[in-house]
Amino acid sequence: MDHLTRLENKSIYIIREAYYQFKDIAMLWSVGKDSTTLLWLCRKAFFGHIPFPIIHIDTSYKFPEMYQFRDTRAKEWNLNLLIGRNEEKLKEGMGPGQGSKLDCCNELKTNALKSVIKKYHLKAILLGIRRDEHGIRAKERYFSPRDSQFKWDYENQPAELWDQYQSMVEEEEHFRIHPILHFAEFDIWNYVKREELPIIPLYFSKNGKRFRSIGCVPCCSPIDSNAQTIDEIVEEIRISKTSERSGRAQDKENIYTMQKLRALGYM
Amino acid sequence: MKLFKGKVKKALIIGIDGVPYSLLSTYLQKDLMPNLKMILSQGLTLHQMNASIPDISSVSWTSFNTGVNPGEHGIYGFTDLKPNSYSLCFPNSKDIKAPTFWEILGKTNQKTSTLSQKYYNKIIHPYRSVIFNVPHTYPALPMNGILVSGFVAIDLKKATFPDSTYTYLHSMNYLIDVEAEKAKEDKMEFMKSLFECFEIRKKAISHFFAGEPWDLFFACITETDRLHHFFFDASSDKENPYYESFLRFYVELDKFIKYLYEQFVERYSEKGFFMILSDHGFAPVKKEVYINKFLEEKGLLVLKKEGNFYERVENKTKAFNLDPCRIYIHGKDAYPRGTVREEEKTDLLEEIKKILRTLKGENGDEVIDKIFEKEDIYHGPHTRMAPDLVCLPKDGYDLKGSLEKKEIFGYNVFKGMHTWHDAFCILPSNISFSKKPSVEELTDYIIQYYSQ
Repeated sequence: MDHLTRLENKSIYIIREAYYQFKDIAMLWSVGKDSTTLLWLCRKAFFGHIPFPIIHIDTSYKFPEMYQFRDTRAKEWNLNLLIGRNEEKLKEGMGPGQGSKLDCCNELKTNALKSVIKKYHLKAILLGIRRDEHGIRAKERYFSPRDSQFKWDYENQPAELWDQYQSMVEEEEHFRIHPILHFAEFDIWNYVKREELPIIPLYFSKNGKRFRSIGCVPCCSPIDSNAQTIDEIVEEIRISKTSERSGRAQDKENIYTMQKLRALGYM
Repeated sequence: MKLFKGKVKKALIIGIDGVPYSLLSTYLQKDLMPNLKMILSQGLTLHQMNASIPDISSVSWTSFNTGVNPGEHGIYGFTDLKPNSYSLCFPNSKDIKAPTFWEILGKTNQKTSTLSQKYYNKIIHPYRSVIFNVPHTYPALPMNGILVSGFVAIDLKKATFPDSTYTYLHSMNYLIDVEAEKAKEDKMEFMKSLFECFEIRKKAISHFFAGEPWDLFFACITETDRLHHFFFDASSDKENPYYESFLRFYVELDKFIKYLYEQFVERYSEKGFFMILSDHGFAPVKKEVYINKFLEEKGLLVLKKEGNFYERVENKTKAFNLDPCRIYIHGKDAYPRGTVREEEKTDLLEEIKKILRTLKGENGDEVIDKIFEKEDIYHGPHTRMAPDLVCLPKDGYDLKGSLEKKEIFGYNVFKGMHTWHDAFCILPSNISFSKKPSVEELTDYIIQYYSQ
């Protein structure tokens, strides 16, 4: 079995197991490359028809290409798409320019997701996070017991898998399941290539710049790149020494800390 | 039946961020703080005290909290560079390498220090503490008691231990801090928010003070530091539009100290241990001094145009400065683009010291008061990250680490600057010092009290 098939099998196994355990389940789709890969895997797991809803948390600040991509694919793949928006805060004018970026993310992402979970009585959410994408996610693996166990005895002890996930329950009462945790950025692009997955054009180079990671327009900046095809992206990532999210605004806490320190004349 | 026989030990410590000895003395003389004056007549003495070096809240409070110098606790400022890199990071409570006094007293310390070793086996039973709003205790780490982190706490949930503390604070709309960023827009409004924040702080402190069991209670008032940063010019100038408000804040503060003190004495009579301290002093700002610009003009610092903060440091750079005046040699072994070899370091340090002493203000007055080499002031296992030189300015010149300034001298919105030499402490009169105390020396007296 080749590397990508092995990764794929692992993910599909987790997706099916998750659906078996929880009927009140949904998948979170940010429309980026990772969660689109996860969506693709979900389709594969259920032979083209996903038996649970797909949630998109809409901050209203996403790239226009993302909305377009979302709506086209949702129609084509016949998705049961739920849109989560914090209408109340959006009406109040919440945005990255107003208040801190931390508040903005909290309100428009976290709280929007919380209310979707509540509204639809969801018990479990599938997320497309990956171990290698962000310092914090890699760190959790090492410092939190839940992740050292999460590091996958599940192949041998499927019955205990869910007990181990139990320790991952955060303040919200739901399970978070990460079927593509073991994919690296490099794997994602190779997989996108192999599966001929549709992908948002923002990832491809335009005028010497491309986005390596996408989210809200004000908090993302493109990297210098001439990669115009998936092959070129794969090659670029193979030799790249900078982090995937270097174009993203920094950690929310760091931004806030910086703001606080600057207000008192430091930095 | 009492399970634990022995003397009841109770301590109340009040921290007041950034209150200078000199201002406090003046206000006491002018009878503006009658309650504190009354308290001082009851077997307590006011001392002038040195802050930590540098005189930054995170360093000074950590020095007090651990009772050791930065060489042992590892905190040198609000910012640092990650090892062998130019990326800025923000040290927090997890980076403190020495145990705090509440960890030692609570017998929960997992680290050791010269102080904890000294009292090893002398604390018989664990003491429970309430630690409230002390800077640089974020995120709140598990301890024996209750902890609510102070500046720079971001997320209230992570700033509280145990969880029930969060529930209460959340329910009362607790504020971690005033929004200092708003001071630029509307000073009047900001002044108002300082009082509001102080009200909430008092309410929360009183709640834990009265409602929780504790052996040691340590609460910090941090609004004073913010007040001083933006309004210190109003502290003694009757013409200043904020003079009244400034005094009113001190009157409120005086009342709150009285409230806590009286409650404490009522419950534990004179047997308790009482102490008040600040972490640094304050003085009016004449000018801000951008040390990096100075180093750049002297050819010691070369910056690229692009990049964030210290990522701009080029390989020709010999030295750079981090807030407020922590000068680091751009060593070959320490930084990716570093070029200064170990054997060149001594001469380079001498050269930089000489150059710094030439830095003069408008009237030819000296800007730099003291220059310390790392080895002079830092001792312990964590001096690797220590700055090679630290400067203290003459009062009035606020040294800064900014990399974006076009001139060496400049102005900002700030009216006050930290001072090293003018912090204060109020201690039981039986404690005396042969020379001016430093903030980290006080901690020993607290633990000593519990070990007797």
